[in-house]
Amino acid sequence: MRELTKISEHLWEIPAEGGMRVPGRIFANDGLIEAVIEDRASEQVANVAHLPGIVEASFAMPDIHWGYGFPIGGVAATEARTGVVSPGGVGFDICCGVRLLASNLEESDFASKRQAIMSELDRRIPRGIGKGAIAPGGMIADVLLRGARAAVDAGYGLEADLERCEEFGTSEGADPGVVTDKAIKRGASQLGSLGAGNHFLEVQVVDEILDEEAAKAFGLARGMVVVMIHCGSRGLGHQTCTDHLGVMGDAMRKHDIDVPDRQLACVPVESTEGQRYLAAMAAAANFAWSNRHILAHEARQAFAAGTSASWEDLGMDLVFDVAHNLAKLERHEANGRLVDVCVHRKGATRAFGPGHPDLPEDLRDVGQPVLVPGSMGTASWVLRGVEGNPAFASAAHGAGRLMSRKKAKSVASGAQVRKDLEGSGITVRPGSVSLLSEEAPYAYKDVDIVAEVCEAAGLAARVARLRPLGVVKG
Amino acid sequence: MAKRAPHPMPEDVHRPRFEVLDHTADTGISATAGTLEELVETMATGMFSLMAQVSPCSTAHTVEFEVGATPREDLVYECLSELLYLAETEDLMFCAFQVRATGSDSFTVTAGGVPIGQIGLTGPPIKAVTYHQMEIREAGGLWHGKVYFDV
Repeated sequence: MRELTKISEHLWEIPAEGGMRVPGRIFANDGLIEAVIEDRASEQVANVAHLPGIVEASFAMPDIHWGYGFPIGGVAATEARTGVVSPGGVGFDICCGVRLLASNLEESDFASKRQAIMSELDRRIPRGIGKGAIAPGGMIADVLLRGARAAVDAGYGLEADLERCEEFGTSEGADPGVVTDKAIKRGASQLGSLGAGNHFLEVQVVDEILDEEAAKAFGLARGMVVVMIHCGSRGLGHQTCTDHLGVMGDAMRKHDIDVPDRQLACVPVESTEGQRYLAAMAAAANFAWSNRHILAHEARQAFAAGTSASWEDLGMDLVFDVAHNLAKLERHEANGRLVDVCVHRKGATRAFGPGHPDLPEDLRDVGQPVLVPGSMGTASWVLRGVEGNPAFASAAHGAGRLMSRKKAKSVASGAQVRKDLEGSGITVRPGSVSLLSEEAPYAYKDVDIVAEVCEAAGLAARVARLRPLGVVKG
Repeated sequence: MAKRAPHPMPEDVHRPRFEVLDHTADTGISATAGTLEELVETMATGMFSLMAQVSPCSTAHTVEFEVGATPREDLVYECLSELLYLAETEDLMFCAFQVRATGSDSFTVTAGGVPIGQIGLTGPPIKAVTYHQMEIREAGGLWHGKVYFDV
């Protein structure tokens, strides 16, 4: 167990010792840090601090929990010129992220059409294991190169949607030529699919606004029905990470790099292996941007069919789309100087503050929307990026797991979890009832506290709280 | 080399064959076997049993592949990763495995199973095999393995 020093009310530090090149810094309050201690995630924060070229600190967001290699909620920025890139710092679900659509329906409108809308979503959203997708596999080459733009050109979504996507829906530097045939084969039958595990499509209502100005800029108002989609790059991303991890062993020996956990395998950013990984990662990210774009298009169609209206009449505007598993080349101020870094966010959301040039013009005054999904049955949050973020413009990505899957299953059956959710007014459309218990609300931390700590720690500011009305699970 | 039918793991020998490891978000298994080949068979059985209990196990659908890698952690990683890839692309839930050494650091793996659409999941799909705290070692005449999966 690592020694943790309380630096302030919401910041804990692991002193740099042994092979750690920088300290570890965990954003948490007294309650959240107990879970960190219990599941040994601080050990992983310390391990990440061993990465060559890491700048300032190995950070962890308030939703941190034990992962593999990196902790979930881990952020590490490495010098772009002399540091390393680690596929484990991105994870297998490359560019997993969250998208939020805002309708002009109110809760009472949804209530009267609830069954029809949820049935349409149930019928239209492919999910679960393996194959099944909305879009044809023939699109994949274009998708890997151009991301969500390829989806728009194929008739999914609108040009205007791209303005409301991180990186405008296209990761630069993608090279489909370095994505393996195996990855492409997996992805070709999954373009426009949710997957399983903690992925979901949720219908929610805005039940509290804490920042009227930002909410207005984001297109949110109290009482508005919204749709949140959480998914990533599916088998294509999983295979891409697997392929690159497989070759990293030899590459690390070649570059004389040693790390405390093989899952932290890394190579210099500027090496051939590093550049190949980043090009493949960007292509997989493009798959993910496009995947969420296509699912959002289908959700719009489902709402239209369920309400017998056109989706354009329902609004269904894209609020924003964020990634929470990516490595990105960004420029930040660190230790009093501007540095070009490769920011790894493994279960952490980019959170650019007001004035950042990479934000769309209409959001530049308020900062980037940061989407923090909760668990089934609990709230989700919309935050906004703030100036002076102390962790390379990063914030939480969710509630963060508290309980292992094994333990969660022992608490209640999937059928009981469904009954409890339905009893509290949340319509559930599961891909598999038996899997619901692993994703039950009690398996996660309190997302309200995670959002509160994000704000108190200066990571992001709260804008709106979203309450679930219906969930489609993988 | 002739393709042989993979065999389902017997229920009553070598117990405990594998155990499920607790993990906050993901899952893993540890396993013990008499040989490295049996260890891979046991770990493969454990990995797929985390997703579904296929009973009775049918081997009407089989796949076979060759894999070579060093060190042995990489060999095991490649075997299990290839099985996940084939399960997804062939739409099969594997339940029977045969691993044969074809060299000091290479295997031929045969796996049999049933179409995914015919079975219900009892656990979330496994996305990938990780190297996190992975162990493959021989001690006291037995092979021990530990691996975590991303779900």
